[in-house]
Amino acid sequence: MIVEIGHFALVLAFALSLVLSVAPLVGARIGDARLMGIAEPASISILALIALSFAALTVAYVQSDFSVANVWENSHSAKPMLYKITGVWGNHEGSMLLWILILAAFAALVAIFGRNLPATLRANVLAVQGMIAAAFLLFVLASSNPFERINPPPIEGQDLNPILQDIGLAIHPPLLYLGYVGFSICFSFAVAALIEGRIDAAWARWVRPWTLAAWAALTGGIAMGSYWAYYELGWGGYWFWDPVENASFLPWLSGTALLHSAIVMEKRSALKIWTVLLAILTFSLSLLGTFLVRSGVLTSVHAFATDPTRGVFILMILIAFIGGSLALFAFRASTLTAGGVFHPISREGGLVLNNLFLTTAAATVLVGTLWPLLVEAVSGEKISVGAPFFNMTFGPLIVPLLLAVPFGPLLAWKRGDLLAVSQRLFAAFGVSLAIALATFFIVDRVSALAAFGIAVAFWLVFGAITDLALKSGVGKVSAPVALRRFIGLPRSVFGTALAHAGLGLTTLGIVAVSALEVERIAVMQPGDAMDVAGYELRFDGIFPFEGPNYTEEQGRFTYSDRSGRERGEIVSAKRFYPARQMPTTEAGIASRGFSQLYVALGDRAPDGGIVVRAWWKPQVLFIWIGCVAMMLGGAISLLDRRLRVGAPAARRATPARPAVEPAE
Amino acid sequence: MVFWITAAALTFGVCLVLLAPLARGRTDAADSRVHEIEVYKDQLLEIERDMARGLITSGEAELARAEIGRKIIRLSDARDAGVVGGKPRAVGSWIGAIAILSLPLVSWGLYAATGSPGYPGQPLQARLQSDPTQASVDELIARAEAHLAANPDDARGWDVLAPIYMRLGRYGDAATAFASASRLDEPTAARLAGEGEALAASAGGQITADALERFERALALSPDDVRSRYFVALAADQAGNGEQARQMWQDMRADLPQESPWHGVIVAAIENEGTDASPGAEAEAIETMVAGLAARLEANANDVDGWQQLIRSYMVLERPQDAQAALDRARAAFGPGSPEAGHLVAYGLSLGLEVEQ
Repeated sequence: MIVEIGHFALVLAFALSLVLSVAPLVGARIGDARLMGIAEPASISILALIALSFAALTVAYVQSDFSVANVWENSHSAKPMLYKITGVWGNHEGSMLLWILILAAFAALVAIFGRNLPATLRANVLAVQGMIAAAFLLFVLASSNPFERINPPPIEGQDLNPILQDIGLAIHPPLLYLGYVGFSICFSFAVAALIEGRIDAAWARWVRPWTLAAWAALTGGIAMGSYWAYYELGWGGYWFWDPVENASFLPWLSGTALLHSAIVMEKRSALKIWTVLLAILTFSLSLLGTFLVRSGVLTSVHAFATDPTRGVFILMILIAFIGGSLALFAFRASTLTAGGVFHPISREGGLVLNNLFLTTAAATVLVGTLWPLLVEAVSGEKISVGAPFFNMTFGPLIVPLLLAVPFGPLLAWKRGDLLAVSQRLFAAFGVSLAIALATFFIVDRVSALAAFGIAVAFWLVFGAITDLALKSGVGKVSAPVALRRFIGLPRSVFGTALAHAGLGLTTLGIVAVSALEVERIAVMQPGDAMDVAGYELRFDGIFPFEGPNYTEEQGRFTYSDRSGRERGEIVSAKRFYPARQMPTTEAGIASRGFSQLYVALGDRAPDGGIVVRAWWKPQVLFIWIGCVAMMLGGAISLLDRRLRVGAPAARRATPARPAVEPAE
Repeated sequence: MVFWITAAALTFGVCLVLLAPLARGRTDAADSRVHEIEVYKDQLLEIERDMARGLITSGEAELARAEIGRKIIRLSDARDAGVVGGKPRAVGSWIGAIAILSLPLVSWGLYAATGSPGYPGQPLQARLQSDPTQASVDELIARAEAHLAANPDDARGWDVLAPIYMRLGRYGDAATAFASASRLDEPTAARLAGEGEALAASAGGQITADALERFERALALSPDDVRSRYFVALAADQAGNGEQARQMWQDMRADLPQESPWHGVIVAAIENEGTDASPGAEAEAIETMVAGLAARLEANANDVDGWQQLIRSYMVLERPQDAQAALDRARAAFGPGSPEAGHLVAYGLSLGLEVEQ
């Protein structure tokens, strides 16, 4: 019965979202507060109903209720409990339900915490959220219903795709959806502003925290997906420029741009129209990602649904929302008032530069992702656009941006002094250069490019530290005063510094792995050893092992360092899941500091040996540590409940030059 | 019943929640600009705080204050525009009423079309614990399997399960079950012979080397094991030693007690040895098969392979009129012009049948 109640709750939520998408909108139009008042209870009820529905599906998974087709297709009674629960969203239908659950949760948050928003704005925002919810609920009910039943029920399920039977499934999709769907709030705010034809101060005050929350979650989601691919797929790669990865990277790039332009808008009331457009584009790119993953136009680890009717349905949603909002933008953008003016060399100017680079980079990735699809549609020819394209186009765009990052936070609002900022960054520049030279001469003389990359990474980290030091007045005031000021700095300053330093750490990891990685392949017999970047890897043999719903052959290795001391064991395995008749590779990974020794088993050789691929991945963990730092930076900034006003810097004519840097 | 009550309560609850704001008579909404001015006032306070913290200088604070002050003045000038509210309007009430009414109509209508209201949940654990007499064979086997998964050392469990697997045609599982019983307890002649038979069955009736090895081990343990003797003889027959096979079967027949069920099997084996089934019997069997197939397709015409098989069978039996009639019926069933019909027409043409276009 609980399954059917879940189904009914979903249908009722759809009916309610139809009401939500019409009544408050009309209310705002004709000035009827009663109709606008529907928005709040409707949004909260939709969340309650969808949560009920999601809980019902989860119960069906936990109880292995194979009378539910979705459970039968994606679960197995012998599966560990964690994967029974994560399996709820490890498939197309369930993940759509999670997507909608998060959408409803965000709308309910706006309803609850948005009581200080102007009534019409709130009604319009919630109505747009209602439209998105209605479209996706209809999609789920019509073409991907997770509550379809089977009678009589089979006695055993078909099991979850073994690649997904991992803790990563518990973290990666929910975080990613929090990001994707979080941008829907920015989208709804933008569309509501266009419907009203005006953007007020409250609007700006609201959009930035939502962007920040969505961006932080998306950063975490992408990073988790990257780490998961790294250890699960057994190729040792962390980013493949796979179209589906790009689909998540695109909203990240435009979301990062949005984050920065929203700062300008909040503090200086400038860039309003551009921010509205970015908000629309960012959510559009999120929707595009959803379409690419679920329509079956791509084949990838992520592509679960290959049903063309679903593709057409999502394409229609895509056209309706993107086309509709852009048309609205075209008609109404002229009614929005443009914001204040600023000097090109200023904090605003720096943020505009950031936006230019980020949106161009996003456009590049978009072209690289869609080009093969376009070519195939037009000429039927299959081409693939891979890493070389992105390295050649994305790389040159991102390097100048990285170089410019430390300047941004040091520039004053409205009009800044580039020379003075450069002088302040001199120490950071010198230290980075010294580290790069040291790397070049001591660690690896081969690649000047690697040394340059490492310099860029440290430049970002020390630039962020410089920012903090200058803002707390180090060197200008006494140490205790500086410390007191440091502690008193607004949280958003720490957030900025942490996020920018995180970017540097990620760059460091990427550069180190790309330039200094060591790879070895050998056919090994038990007792054989090989040298991987100074570590001796000894193969102890293959041992069978029985898991709850799989069997595996474990290759056990012992590794010792240069001095010959044993450092530990690495277990790398080939698993076989009988329910799906599918093998997987489990990489064996040992961390040494921030570097890792990565071992993957290949095929058995005819003479009884086994192919072993081993990598030494120097500083690889920084890639993800940097992402976590960025995410934390976002979270800290989000906790800053202060209102932000960008106090403009005085013109030169003003008598006293400010003794302190302008505040956040 | 509980389901319907819950569904009705949910619908009713949601309607009530929406009714609350509609029932409120008050329709005045605050001027949206009030919010904006509030934001600016907050910003002014923030500037004071920043100055107190020493984050900005008094000069900067002055500039910022002046900027915000200008914004407030600009807003106040445009103050009278954009006020919403007033008396409740009839159109609003109508829309509210339609909205509330649409909830039960849309939800119950859509659910009636897509849901399965009378179908209770089927949690696996409960199904496995329910009354065994009500359970399907599959469920019984699942129970036995669950029992064995929990107690994998129970050789007797495997003994019970193995013949059931054989009966259901799950020969691979049967072989594993017999082997498990042998491994856990001891290899008896019955277990070895059973495993051999399962291996042979999963090889489509061929006595493979593996299977033969099991039978021979069984005979070493118990030279009188009937099943193993029979299959060893069959293996000889399959290897082309018909004479030897016949001799072995005849020896067996002499040894068997009168009431043994194996008599019939052995007599049939001896009769069949070296001779194929008689032509008359074969034709009769084919006729029966074809008639059965035709009857099945009459009941369920949606089976391209079935039709193809039927048409071919009629041609083999040299009944082209029947083949022609079958093709016409199939075309009518799939609808002329459908891909299935096209496929069957092409097939018919390849056999020399005629098709009027």
